[in-house]
Amino acid sequence: MSTADWLLMFHITAAFLFVGGSVAAGVLNVLAVRAERPSEAATMLRLIKALLPVIFVGVGGTLLFGIWLWHELHFSLGAAWIWISLALWVVANALGGVGGRHQERSRELAERLAGEGDAPSDELRALLRDPTGAAISYAAGAATLAILVLMIWKPGS
Amino acid sequence: MITVLAYSRGFWPLFLHVLGAMTLFGVVLAAFVLAIAGLPRATFTSLLVALPAWAVTLACAFWIESDEGLDNSNATWIGIGHAVLEPGLIVLLGALGTAWWWRRSGKTVAARISMGLSGVYLLLLCLAWLAMSGKWGS
Repeated sequence: MSTADWLLMFHITAAFLFVGGSVAAGVLNVLAVRAERPSEAATMLRLIKALLPVIFVGVGGTLLFGIWLWHELHFSLGAAWIWISLALWVVANALGGVGGRHQERSRELAERLAGEGDAPSDELRALLRDPTGAAISYAAGAATLAILVLMIWKPGS
Repeated sequence: MITVLAYSRGFWPLFLHVLGAMTLFGVVLAAFVLAIAGLPRATFTSLLVALPAWAVTLACAFWIESDEGLDNSNATWIGIGHAVLEPGLIVLLGALGTAWWWRRSGKTVAARISMGLSGVYLLLLCLAWLAMSGKWGS
C-alpha cells in the first residue's frame, strides 16, 4: 500500500467514527426525547457524553488525514470542493458544540429532577423538544451530510 | 443536464453504500452502549433500525459491482466486504434476537450475549471499512 492508500484508509476510518458516532448520538437523543421519566432521559444524555471521544477522534482525524491527503494527492490549492468541505466541517462542529451545550443543560435538569422524585416534567419535556435545539442538531447533521456528498462527488476534480 | 445525470449514476450507489454503512455502524454502536447501560428495550429498538441500514448498504454494493463490472472480481477487499455483510448478518440477527429475549425475560445471559454480538459486529464492520478503503489485495 502506498502512503496515499494508508492516508485514505485512516481518513475514511475517521469519517466512520465522526458520522457513525454522530448517528449513535442522534439515536440516543431521540430515545431521551421519548423517555417518560427524567432518570431515563438523564441516562440517555449521559451515554451521549460517553460517545464524545469517538466523535472527537473522528472530527480530528478527518481534518488531519484529509489535509495530509490533499498534499499527498496534489489536489489544487484552489479546489473549491475541498474549501467548501472545510467550511462545512467548521460549521458542523460549531453547531455540534452549541447543540451539545443544549443537551448538557437538559442532562443537568433531568438529573436534578430524577433526584427529586423522578416525576415526569413539562419543563424537561419542553427543553428536550425545544425547536431551536432540534434545528441546530438537524443543521449540524445536514452540514455533515453535505461534506460526505462533496467527498464522494469531488466536483471539478 | 445529461452530464449531471450521467455523473450521478456513479455517485448515488457509492454515496448510499457509504451512508448506509456509516448509519449501520452508528446504530450498532448505539445498541452496544445501550446494552452496556443495561437497557434491553432501547437496545432492541436500536438493533431493529440497523436492518434497513444493512439492506441499503448491501443493495448499493451490488449496484456498484454491476455498474463497474466487478460482479466476478476475486479482490480480497470485495470478498471481505461481502463476508461481513452477508454471513455477518447472522451476527447482527443474533444480537437482535438475544436483545428481544433479554427484553422479554430480563435474563443477564441474554444481555451479555446481545452486548457481545453487537461488539463483534462493530469489529467486523471496522474490518470491512479498513479492507474496502485500503483496497486490500487489489
